[in-house]
Amino acid sequence: MNSKHALEVHGISKSFAAVKAVDKLAFEVRPGEIFGLLGPNGAGKTTSIRMILDIIKPDGGQIRVLGGPMTEAKKSRIGYLPEERGLYDDMTLMDTLLFLGQLKEMPRPKAGQQAEAYLRQVKLWDARDQKIEALSRGMNQKAQFVAATMHEPELIIVDEPLSGLDPVNTRIIKDLLYRMRDRGAAIIMSTHQMHQVEEMCQRILLIDRGRRVLYGSLAEIRKQFTRNSVEVEVRGQLENVPGVERVVAQNGRYRLLLEQGIRPENLLKTLVDRPELTVEAFKQVETSLDEIFVQVVGRELEPGELPAQEALEGEPA
Amino acid sequence: MKKTWLIAKETYKRRVRSGSFLVLTFGLPVLMVAAGAIPFLLNAGSDLPVVGFVDQTGALSPPAQVERSGDTLQVQPYASIDAARAAYERDEVAGFLVAPPGYLEGEPVVFYGDDAPNMATEEALAEVLRRSQVPGEPAWPHARLTDPSERVFVALESGEQVAEGPALILRLAAPLGLGIVFALAVLMGSSQLGAAVVREKEQRSIEMIATSVRIRELVAGKVLGVSLLTLTQFAIWGVGATIGLGLALTRLVDLQGLVVPWRALVWGLLLGVPGYFLYGTLAAGVGVIAGGNQQARQLAGFLGFAAFVPFWFAGTLVQAPDGALALVASLFPLTSPTFCLMRMAFTQVPTWQLVTALVLILLSLVGAIWLVARIFRAAMLNYGQSLRPQQILRALRQA
Repeated sequence: MNSKHALEVHGISKSFAAVKAVDKLAFEVRPGEIFGLLGPNGAGKTTSIRMILDIIKPDGGQIRVLGGPMTEAKKSRIGYLPEERGLYDDMTLMDTLLFLGQLKEMPRPKAGQQAEAYLRQVKLWDARDQKIEALSRGMNQKAQFVAATMHEPELIIVDEPLSGLDPVNTRIIKDLLYRMRDRGAAIIMSTHQMHQVEEMCQRILLIDRGRRVLYGSLAEIRKQFTRNSVEVEVRGQLENVPGVERVVAQNGRYRLLLEQGIRPENLLKTLVDRPELTVEAFKQVETSLDEIFVQVVGRELEPGELPAQEALEGEPA
Repeated sequence: MKKTWLIAKETYKRRVRSGSFLVLTFGLPVLMVAAGAIPFLLNAGSDLPVVGFVDQTGALSPPAQVERSGDTLQVQPYASIDAARAAYERDEVAGFLVAPPGYLEGEPVVFYGDDAPNMATEEALAEVLRRSQVPGEPAWPHARLTDPSERVFVALESGEQVAEGPALILRLAAPLGLGIVFALAVLMGSSQLGAAVVREKEQRSIEMIATSVRIRELVAGKVLGVSLLTLTQFAIWGVGATIGLGLALTRLVDLQGLVVPWRALVWGLLLGVPGYFLYGTLAAGVGVIAGGNQQARQLAGFLGFAAFVPFWFAGTLVQAPDGALALVASLFPLTSPTFCLMRMAFTQVPTWQLVTALVLILLSLVGAIWLVARIFRAAMLNYGQSLRPQQILRALRQA
């Protein structure tokens, strides 16, 4: 790859009727990194991905994929696992992979070799002659992951790749993603599973209402938000504490998110001064990505929600 | 093009192995043959009976027997209805025919029996009545009176010669038959294509495939795959019907006298195949717009009926096969295959009209693929939803 970036997105926008789904979005993704694409439902993630993949055209802005504009030839260097998943029910797993592999310009024998190697890795080799309709949900998910990545693309876009998988299968897919990253592939992972992002991604982009609201190194972003989050263990009722924006109870402990300008030592003093409370433990903690998300976006994630305008347009963003 | 073939091949392979295809392809002809064969078999086993004959005119001389398709109908004359009835009750005759006094002036004859006579007996009884009127004459005057002469038609312009009988029937029926086959193929194929595209949307595999191929390759591949499937069906039926008819006709007619209607066959293929793909592409577009399988089948089926429109104008066509309506409909891409074939049955369609029709069909096909690909791009992500008119217009402007 000539370019330093696998993907460069410069100020792309997309509207559906009067609704601006994506608004001057800009970011870059580098080879050899797992890049988290985050945002509440309807934020514009899927619309952005579809524009990157040339499924829909942006109204404005520029996208450079693998060093230049998207071309038909480049499609075989890209892997995509969409959120809306589906394979042909009446085809066997192996036939499906051979077909999709050939659509990605792989000669049939090579597609067969790659399919075998990947199916063995995801423990689906024994199911190769089963029809897709006979596979369990988890097996289907893994099959689609294989279909999206077995041609060893340089740019991989995966939308919720781990949803619905048990811990063992989650581990298998994660390991495959790490291996692809280590061989230099740029991976964009769109997900709502913040703990997975924290574990796997080096950099993230958080978008809301089509706009970029957070972008950069995950470590930097966390540092930026860490100053005002503490975990306490107290005896007594923790109510109406001044300077605290939000209280989350966790297994007998409380995670307190402090208001801007409030330092942890100020809070400790406030708590100690309260006669009805006994502070048993108090420590400053890193703000979780979940909390950062809620702070920045201003609302909780609600899986399955879809803004009314997108339902009307039929263009889930 | 390679990916188009790949998609077509997979679409074809998946469907040709499906149970519904096998049942329809092989089950339907079996049912049709059974429906046709059962009455024939029921009649085939029965020999021509012995019948009584009562002449109340006093002017008829019925023969003792007549031959019909290698079988013999024996005729037993009786002086009165009572005598004939007595013979019937003794099981000496299967029934009896009464020629009333006014028969020669047009009064109908009456057949008495348990059942109405079957077709073979009816024909034999007609022969009995004919020969009763001119007794003692050899068989040839009866044959000549029934059918004065066979004719041979010679077209002065083309020099084509067609003898009356099976050759003429084939000459007329071949283009008409091809037109009917085309319309039926369109009706079946359109419905299947509309459903196939909806199924593609429902299975949600499009998004993944669309990142590997051009949309027009996807649309063309689907149309090609399902179209080849329908053509396979018709080829199987066609071969089966040809063998079946061939076997049946060798016993009845001299096949060497038949003239193969090459012009109709060649132009039938030249216009029919791209015409079929044109309908298929439009049916795929209907599938794209439709929200569900049922809606797609309904809309595509409606489209398929357009191929039958020429049959509504069959009367006009017979009267004026070179008229203005015939010419316009022969050049309009959706009706030209059927209209051109139907006209060939009644007139010599000028070659320039056939070539123009072909060019227009091919241009329309290219345009349809372009159009449907544009709508497809906008609609493919509308899982389970139909496309509204304004969305279609926007897709055509933006995609």
